[in-house]
Amino acid sequence: MNNLLEIQDAHVYIGSFYILQGISMVVPKGEVTLLLGRNGAGKTTTMKTILGLYPPREGKVVFKGEEISNLPTHKIVNKGIGYVPDTRRIFGTLTVEQNLTVSRRKSSSRDDLQERLDLIFDLFPDMKGFLKQRAGTLSGGQQQMLAVARALVNDNDLLLIDEPTEGLSPLLAKNLINALDRLKEFATILLVEQNFRTVSKLGDNYYIFDSGKIVHEGNNMSELIADKALVAQYLGVSI
Amino acid sequence: MTMQTKRFSPRDYLEENPQVRKILRIAMVIALIIIGGLLVVMAIDVYTWDGFVARTSKSVVNGLALSMLLFLMVSGFFLIFGLCDVINFAHGAFFMLGGFMGFVIYLGTEALFLDSTLPFHLIFGANQFAMSLTAFIVSALGATAILALIGGGIEFFTVRRLYGNPIAQILLTVGFMFIITQIAEIIWGPPQFSYFITPNSQIAYFFMSGILDFGEGMIFEIYRIFLIFLGLAVAAIMFVGFRKTRIGLQIQAGIEDSEMVEALGTDIRKLFTIVFMLGAGLAGLSGAVLVPWIGANSGHGLTYLIYAFVIVVIGGAHYGRFEGTFFGALIVGLSMQFTAYFIPFLENIIVFIIMAIILIIRPGGLTGHE
Repeated sequence: MNNLLEIQDAHVYIGSFYILQGISMVVPKGEVTLLLGRNGAGKTTTMKTILGLYPPREGKVVFKGEEISNLPTHKIVNKGIGYVPDTRRIFGTLTVEQNLTVSRRKSSSRDDLQERLDLIFDLFPDMKGFLKQRAGTLSGGQQQMLAVARALVNDNDLLLIDEPTEGLSPLLAKNLINALDRLKEFATILLVEQNFRTVSKLGDNYYIFDSGKIVHEGNNMSELIADKALVAQYLGVSI
Repeated sequence: MTMQTKRFSPRDYLEENPQVRKILRIAMVIALIIIGGLLVVMAIDVYTWDGFVARTSKSVVNGLALSMLLFLMVSGFFLIFGLCDVINFAHGAFFMLGGFMGFVIYLGTEALFLDSTLPFHLIFGANQFAMSLTAFIVSALGATAILALIGGGIEFFTVRRLYGNPIAQILLTVGFMFIITQIAEIIWGPPQFSYFITPNSQIAYFFMSGILDFGEGMIFEIYRIFLIFLGLAVAAIMFVGFRKTRIGLQIQAGIEDSEMVEALGTDIRKLFTIVFMLGAGLAGLSGAVLVPWIGANSGHGLTYLIYAFVIVVIGGAHYGRFEGTFFGALIVGLSMQFTAYFIPFLENIIVFIIMAIILIIRPGGLTGHE
């Protein structure tokens, strides 16, 4: 069983809008898979489909060899999926510590909490300093650390990380990418990123989305970067 | 080419001129103090100093007691609205039914203890105080439990199917409001009839019916002072519960972003049912403990639903926090009692005047964002 997650021909509607038009992809265990593409291409919807927030009308999602497409969200997540949403969505009225408490699942065994916290503080040493602070008062970079930490308080097999560097300064973005790089040894990662150059050193595999379809896939990031025509057509990098 | 004329907007003007804004703010505070001072002087002139002291002290005690109970009732409404996004029009009816449940359970428990054919009369014997106290506790807890079950049942069997459909939710909860109110009217009669404990009690006794007399017209009913402390105690338990327990934190987080709470592995549906039970239970509790003061009455449903709206709006509904509801309840309870004692004809409209003023100054309410 090499693939931790598999999506087979998923068709997803949001209301009456036909968003994902037959997506098939795999996320191999222990690797980082990138979802690339422009705004509105369907990357975030794919993540929400995995989470069961937008269940597919056709096709299926298989996690650890088990179909999860028709399960309610909390049951899917409890199988070992951590989610770092775009725009962070931390709970601003709670403190950082309370954010982590809320995110800790009941089913996780109590004894490894310290281990998880050690990992979090190892990746983000600064977080120790603002544990008691109300999360709404944190800076953008601190909020992003918290959003990632929230997915790490449970021992997850798969991390879904959506646009982690959005709105961060280049230095903060670089630090975060380094942290994610170190996370590779603990979990499989599915990463959405518009600015693919910043994450190119992380990715093992990639899928390029356009208008709800996968238009290109591969496993060699340097080949992708070299393919100027492909980059210009689907990733719209104008630099 | 058409000419673009820029309309003058006071808000924009104040935004651009912070100094004018500052001066206006200071002027407003001074004006408020002067108006308040004038009102006090007028009140002393009309009612004499002794009358003023007596009325003020009574307004404070009654106002605080009412505020605490309103807070308990409205926090249930606020929780359901905040977490589930449901405006529960049946909340006032829950409160009203809680009153009748408290009334019925109190008398039932009393009858049980007085019935000489049953062994229960041996427990307290002639100790009326202990019996009445026990009946009161049983009635408060019983009303809470029954209303929690009714609220949870309504969520589980009906509201659950309508999340994301606000129009249908409003129609549904308005329907429940009418159903509950009509059932209460069929059983206990129209709002002309109020039911109090002492006149209906077999022994014409309630454990806390005395008064405290401090002289100078400062006479307080002990039960209302007790209500202040009861309300404060329940409010304190709630505040601590929301800060310290996992489920409290989940509810708070869910009020901010319920989808995210779900995506972190919480069964949000279960949480919604729990919150409905908690909210309806709080309405039942506040209804039951208010019976010895305002009685049980089938008309309370609508009256208190309107108070609930006013308090939530004053406190700040969206993204507002509990603190807002607490202060909203204080403002409503105190202002109603103060006007009742000083300007009686304003009693029923004062809360709407205050709501309008607060909404003009802070459109999002006290704690909410604009």
